[in-house]
Amino acid sequence: MIRALIVDDELHAREELAALLRDVGGCEIVAACANAVEAIKLINRQRPDVLFLDVQMPVLGGFELLGMIDQEIMPHVVFVTAFDEYALKAFEEKTLDYLLKPVERGRLEKTFDKLQGLLNRGEPPFYAAPPIVRIPCGGGSRVKLINPREVEHVRSDLSGVHIVLPQGECYTELTLRVLEERTALVRCHRQYLVNADHIDEIHLLEHGLAEIRTRAGHLLPVSRRYLKSLKDSFGF
Amino acid sequence: MKLIFALLQQMSVFLVIAYLFTKSPAFRPLTGETLRVRHKVLLYFVFSAFSILGTYFGLPVQDAIANTRAIGAVLAGLIGGPLLGTAVGLTGGLHRYTLGGFTAFSCGVSTTVEGLVGGLAHLYLLRKGKSEQVFSPALALGITFLAEAMQMLIILLLSRPFASALALVEVIALPMMLANAAGAALFISIMRDQKSMYDKVGAIFSGKALKIAERTLGILVQGFNQKTAEAMARIIHDETGVGAVGITDREKILAFIGAGADHHCPGTPISAEITRRAIRENRVFYADGVREHFTCPLSATCPLDSVLLVPLHVDNEVVGTIMLFEPKHKLFLNLNKTLGEGIANLLSAQLLRSRYEMQKSLLVQSELKLIRAQVNPHFLFNALNTIIAILRKDADRARELLLHLSNFFRKNLKRSCDLATLEEELDHVNSYLKIEKARFEDRLQVETAVDPTLLPLKIPIFTLQPLIENAIKHGVSGLLGQGVVRLSARQAGDEVVIDVEDNAGAFREEAGRDGLGMAMVDKRIKNLCGNRYGLTVTCAPQELTRVTVTLPAEGVAP
Repeated sequence: MIRALIVDDELHAREELAALLRDVGGCEIVAACANAVEAIKLINRQRPDVLFLDVQMPVLGGFELLGMIDQEIMPHVVFVTAFDEYALKAFEEKTLDYLLKPVERGRLEKTFDKLQGLLNRGEPPFYAAPPIVRIPCGGGSRVKLINPREVEHVRSDLSGVHIVLPQGECYTELTLRVLEERTALVRCHRQYLVNADHIDEIHLLEHGLAEIRTRAGHLLPVSRRYLKSLKDSFGF
Repeated sequence: MKLIFALLQQMSVFLVIAYLFTKSPAFRPLTGETLRVRHKVLLYFVFSAFSILGTYFGLPVQDAIANTRAIGAVLAGLIGGPLLGTAVGLTGGLHRYTLGGFTAFSCGVSTTVEGLVGGLAHLYLLRKGKSEQVFSPALALGITFLAEAMQMLIILLLSRPFASALALVEVIALPMMLANAAGAALFISIMRDQKSMYDKVGAIFSGKALKIAERTLGILVQGFNQKTAEAMARIIHDETGVGAVGITDREKILAFIGAGADHHCPGTPISAEITRRAIRENRVFYADGVREHFTCPLSATCPLDSVLLVPLHVDNEVVGTIMLFEPKHKLFLNLNKTLGEGIANLLSAQLLRSRYEMQKSLLVQSELKLIRAQVNPHFLFNALNTIIAILRKDADRARELLLHLSNFFRKNLKRSCDLATLEEELDHVNSYLKIEKARFEDRLQVETAVDPTLLPLKIPIFTLQPLIENAIKHGVSGLLGQGVVRLSARQAGDEVVIDVEDNAGAFREEAGRDGLGMAMVDKRIKNLCGNRYGLTVTCAPQELTRVTVTLPAEGVAP
């Protein structure tokens, strides 16, 4: 069974696609959600094989969402759109396939065959993703978009990933690895990323450890493993 | 006493000459509002002549001359300013000086001073903004009286021996002061009468021109064709009283009213070579019926003899002619010639306006087409997708939505006129909203509050739809939470105010397609209702965007 996630901001569009997928068979719909932020959360938890993704959604569009998914768990992506003459070409290049709403069953079956082939060959999907320019924070109907340059550091703990700004912090569904790869934030500890522009000083400790003090006065641990690369990034 | 009568007698001769002057073309420049340098030179010669004549007509008294020389100098100053006054005074004075006598020098000086006094009075009136009083006889009387008194003083001061001067002044002072003052007053009153007669003729002329302008206004806006040309020709014929009036386009006669209308038939090609030449060479032709005659190419018995033929232009291109005719026994009045050329200008201006109006309405038509073409493909396909989904669960609701979709498109395509009632607009928008509501379900809430008495109000078509579409496309659809669109219409004083609000507060000034849609709505309202009406946008980011449509309370006149 192929595990599918449907992301579309319109209830009826989600339901219609789910109904069609059931008709075609061979597929389990693990979840359906209405926006990109929820989608990130669900992808991280459910690890679907395929993502049926609407292009136009509030706050974060489908393309932007792609850049926020961890490459390790990247599902195959099928874009679904009502009409977008300019983007159609981009779909063909970047994604497995695209579907036009209203979706025809026959067309969906073809997409499915293609997908089955890819999954059988075990080829991991790769989509060239642009750097992240806004980090979605919070959830529900209140999502804040934060410019990575304003972020002081990022901390992950058991409760999740926290974006820390000089004036407060908030929660994000993005993983540390995605943020490390797609933003200018640098790793200083297994659980920390730091914005080099916000570092006030690096205090070297015993046993090859160190401590970062940020301009806002926060203290961040630096592990032995990342100290060298951190030093390198500062050129000493 | 004898001297007074003698001088008054002399002055009468002077006034006859003055009267003749006002009838001559040399007087023309004085009827205008401002004097050009050219006119001032002319006036210098005229008034200098008067001044010198005043000396010639003078009576010898005790080795001096009792005279009316001052009139020319003072009036020149009064009418033409200090420079002209001094120049005339100096000329008159120099002339007097050459005649000799013991007062020769003092008289020469005093005449110059008199011209200057007149000029200063002119300046004073100009500063006070009372330049029209230059032609007041009472003022001329006073100023000349004063100037003559000064002359007497100057004679006493400068002439030697003093005893002779005093004796002379005793004899001539009163007669000369009285005669010159009276002469200047009468002279100026003659000029004033003549001037007001010119003004009156001018007023009659302007009156006629304005009446023609008023009556013809708007006729040509309906186009330049036989029907409008005939209406124009009839009005011009009525108002000017000329023998006949003809209007042509580049090829044929469009209208002909008056004598000779029996054989100059509208719709027939232009036959007179003179008309074809006027069109070809783009110039005015005038046959006065005395030196040059109009020869009718159609009929030997045609009564028309003189003609004024003026081309009509639009943007420097000749589009036709207008012709004024007089029959053989009647003189072509100069007044009508000027009027005819004026009318041609007027018609040209109206033709230009009518072309502009036509282009403007074409523009509106094409803009409406554009708005229709703007129907967003996203909307259509999303609507169809929604209906297909609903069809699985609720066929009745799907049917209802399809009917709304069909109503929306029919309204979009069908309406060809510029105006619709508010009710029709709301119906159109309602179908649109029903579909969007189905698409977004709980995420979209629509609130309407329309004063039912406003439903029959005529408003420009496609006023509401683009605004509602923007509120959804750029407002509500970008929200993760609940979106609200509010539509309200109410009367406020002599205005009707329609608000379209959303709770997204995502308005940005855009030059793109949607900005264009709003700009078009605004422009069409301003075109139809005037600049105080139209759209205003208020935006509180993340909270609210409100587009307010202001229209006149009586709606738009069809």
